[in-house]
Amino acid sequence: MDEIINRENPQKLYVQLEEIIKKKIEDKEWAVGSKIPTEEELCKIYGVSKAPVRAAILELVRQGYLMRQQGKGTFVCKRIISEGLTMHTSFRELMLEAGVSSSTKVLAQTVMMPVDDIDVKLNVPEDTHLIYVKRLRLVEDEPVLLQEAYIPHNICPQLLREDIENNSLFELIEKKYGIKITKIKDYIEVTTPAADEVKLLGLSGCSGALLLEQHFYSGDTQIMYMRSVKRPDRFRFLIELERRAA
Amino acid sequence: MSKGKVAKDVMIDVFEFPHIPYWFSIRQAIGIAKKSLLSSEKCHHPMAVLVFDEKYNLLGTLSLKDILRGLEPKFLKPTTKAQVPAEDESGLSLLWDTLFDKGAKEAAEKPVSEVMVPAKFFVQPDEPITKAAYLMVHNDLALLPVLENKKKFVGLVRIREVFDELSSSILEG
Repeated sequence: MDEIINRENPQKLYVQLEEIIKKKIEDKEWAVGSKIPTEEELCKIYGVSKAPVRAAILELVRQGYLMRQQGKGTFVCKRIISEGLTMHTSFRELMLEAGVSSSTKVLAQTVMMPVDDIDVKLNVPEDTHLIYVKRLRLVEDEPVLLQEAYIPHNICPQLLREDIENNSLFELIEKKYGIKITKIKDYIEVTTPAADEVKLLGLSGCSGALLLEQHFYSGDTQIMYMRSVKRPDRFRFLIELERRAA
Repeated sequence: MSKGKVAKDVMIDVFEFPHIPYWFSIRQAIGIAKKSLLSSEKCHHPMAVLVFDEKYNLLGTLSLKDILRGLEPKFLKPTTKAQVPAEDESGLSLLWDTLFDKGAKEAAEKPVSEVMVPAKFFVQPDEPITKAAYLMVHNDLALLPVLENKKKFVGLVRIREVFDELSSSILEG
């Protein structure tokens, strides 16, 4: 029998729905490669509106359970699970080539409410005030990285007045304000940059770019969501994996 | 009458209101107004969104009425035909049908900076609320920003607190 959404449950509807879908995938009720019901069908099956259905699907796409194909539908993905290999991942800031001069241009340091799915990505209520930071990184005066960060205002209101041209957000949050970042989740993909990103990064119309989405956590609380679009020709990643002591 | 009362005595926190940057579209502002004002359990008065620049300077306010005005180009340039003459109801029904039609969806893509009410008037925290009352009445404002040193945005004065303070002395009389 199908699981049902419990409206008395304090858990958000989309979280409940996410768990139900995840279980169907893990129990192989929905096989790898199969198409899952449409958003409309899921709304009918579970008696919920489109917003929680979309949020649940989006989260499962992010976690690698589902894959969306434009105009075709949403499909169950083949997942590679590295169970038994518990890894401690230490993330290093994206590294520029050594010896080159770099600078930062602050394009915005203001406050906004979440739009699109930013509330879902940050796991905050829809009416949360967010500090919004947009910066353009330049190497030898050439734009290479466009970075947007969203931080719930109540987590670190002082960031609104900080010098973020010369300081890293990561360091300000950790060292100056003592909020220890305990986990970062990274999602890397190739993206088609939006028109303003093409313009700011000086990309040619048809070129792709690298998209890095990062979710920063302090304990169980997500404290920042960062979206970075990079010129693929000027960056390389350094991701160091260390096996955690048993 | 309300002797000694100044703007900072009655101002409210800016975070009582949703914030958006000026480059947001009217469509995005509608989404935020629905989520933060209409669906909220908190009672917002007046129902308005604050519009900021990229350095967190207040640029203006956007009420639900301003959004409607922005969606319908005919509201931006009111014609005499839009003024409801009672004797011409048959013709009017045709006119009403043309409002908030296809053009409204296109208009929703405009930036909010085109339809907000610019923040031209303000008071400083230590200025009397009578000055706030004067500015709000003369300029038909529901909200008046409070700026420290004419620069730092520290709060908002609403007509309800100004009314409450100034009218009390009448009743006490």
